[in-house]
Amino acid sequence: MARRTLSFILLASAIAVTGIVPRFSPAAANAAEIDFLSDDFYDYDDVSREAGDPLEPLNRVIFRFNDKMYIHVMEPVASVYAAAVPLDLRECIFNFFRNLEEPVRFLNALLQGRFGDSGEVLTRFLINSTLGIYGLGDAATRVFDVPPVEATLGETLAVWGVGDGAYLVVPFYGSSTIRDFTAVVGEGFGEPYYAWTDNYYYMGTVYAGKETNKLSMHLGEYEELKSVLFDPYVSFRNAYFQYRSKVRGQSRSVPDNAE
Amino acid sequence: MFHPGNILFSFIFFFLLWLPGGSGAVHAAKVPDPTEQLRPYVDKVVEILTDPEFKGEEACIKRREKVMELAQERFDFNEMSRRVLGPQWRSLSGDEQDYFVGLFTTLLEHVYIGKIEDYTDQKVAFRDQRVKNDRAQVETDIIDKNVVIPVSYIMLLKDGQWLVYDIIVEGVSLVRNYMEQFREIIRKDGYPSLLKRMEEKIQELQKSIGKPCPTDLSVDQGTS
Repeated sequence: MARRTLSFILLASAIAVTGIVPRFSPAAANAAEIDFLSDDFYDYDDVSREAGDPLEPLNRVIFRFNDKMYIHVMEPVASVYAAAVPLDLRECIFNFFRNLEEPVRFLNALLQGRFGDSGEVLTRFLINSTLGIYGLGDAATRVFDVPPVEATLGETLAVWGVGDGAYLVVPFYGSSTIRDFTAVVGEGFGEPYYAWTDNYYYMGTVYAGKETNKLSMHLGEYEELKSVLFDPYVSFRNAYFQYRSKVRGQSRSVPDNAE
Repeated sequence: MFHPGNILFSFIFFFLLWLPGGSGAVHAAKVPDPTEQLRPYVDKVVEILTDPEFKGEEACIKRREKVMELAQERFDFNEMSRRVLGPQWRSLSGDEQDYFVGLFTTLLEHVYIGKIEDYTDQKVAFRDQRVKNDRAQVETDIIDKNVVIPVSYIMLLKDGQWLVYDIIVEGVSLVRNYMEQFREIIRKDGYPSLLKRMEEKIQELQKSIGKPCPTDLSVDQGTS
């Protein structure tokens, strides 16, 4: 119940902050249409274009906290895990969780009016749940050439006119915005692996397990990246928005050679 | 759609194009193909990175030098520096600009090589290209074991040569990422302080070069 209340409050505040009128417009979500070949791409101020960062002082504190947690707790745990569990098995676990998320992805693609993509998600779910043996293998990509499709609730809210609110760094989670993180919490209701239990402690364990598994495949990348940055906070904020527009730009499946 | 005759025809056509003298004549009239210019460079880099002679700790510095030598031919570090500094660039004198280009090039050496030398058994697949006037984007995938990293090269045509001025790794533009970091530093502490921080950062990175290369540190994570 508390979870429900929390996510309602977050959603309500996101709406209050942005003052939205729900209006379906797929183009709105893609406001930051990216063309690397255009000089405009190098012109605009990333953060102010997508979402401001009025919470910067607080965000920086959480960023430092996450940084310490990552280096001193999460990564050591993931290293031990990586040494104990073979890579193939870790990939199966990753696939398993990803497959369980497909129904939510399907719904989001549908709500965004991306009917082709939603069909692909459904196809992937059906193939991987059966031939992929409960989603442990990704037969859809490997055998049938149906690659993963991304569709999140955050994107759905964007399509329906909900603004970002503000950039947000979330403890144990990382970069997000008020809208997108609200959506992540909301999506939690739809993920079957959180529905296995009512106990927050176990939910936390499932999340930690899932993330540790994912992290075990990216060890050492964070430190290496950080070593060449001047202001990791600014760099990660910038990368978050850039990466997000890339994922969303792709999902709009505009043919690249359309000119 | 498949027709054996088509294949034969393409072969003959391809062969004719590549006869001595033929290739130049056909391409000179039109805009050169960005992928065709980038491919030999990328192939050479992969060759160096996977060459057993250049593996291991001692070879690390030698390997970096080799790769940078190659990069100098295909990358336009001047153009990169101009873009990354934005409006600040215009307020600098020629000497100051040159000095910045030097610092930024050394920095990129660490960023770029640090990134690519992580992947020990890598292959590079050329996926697609897009040309718009004198700009081109060549999309590649770095494939290493089970990891696929999309890397795009953004290029500008100068005197018949396509030169890289930005690299997009997983959708994130390197130039724009540094641009925002630099802009914040200039805004808060001024341009001289940016130079100071770049010099310090480079010193710090140079020191870590003597230590084992990132490649040697990360070998155990994939295979166990």
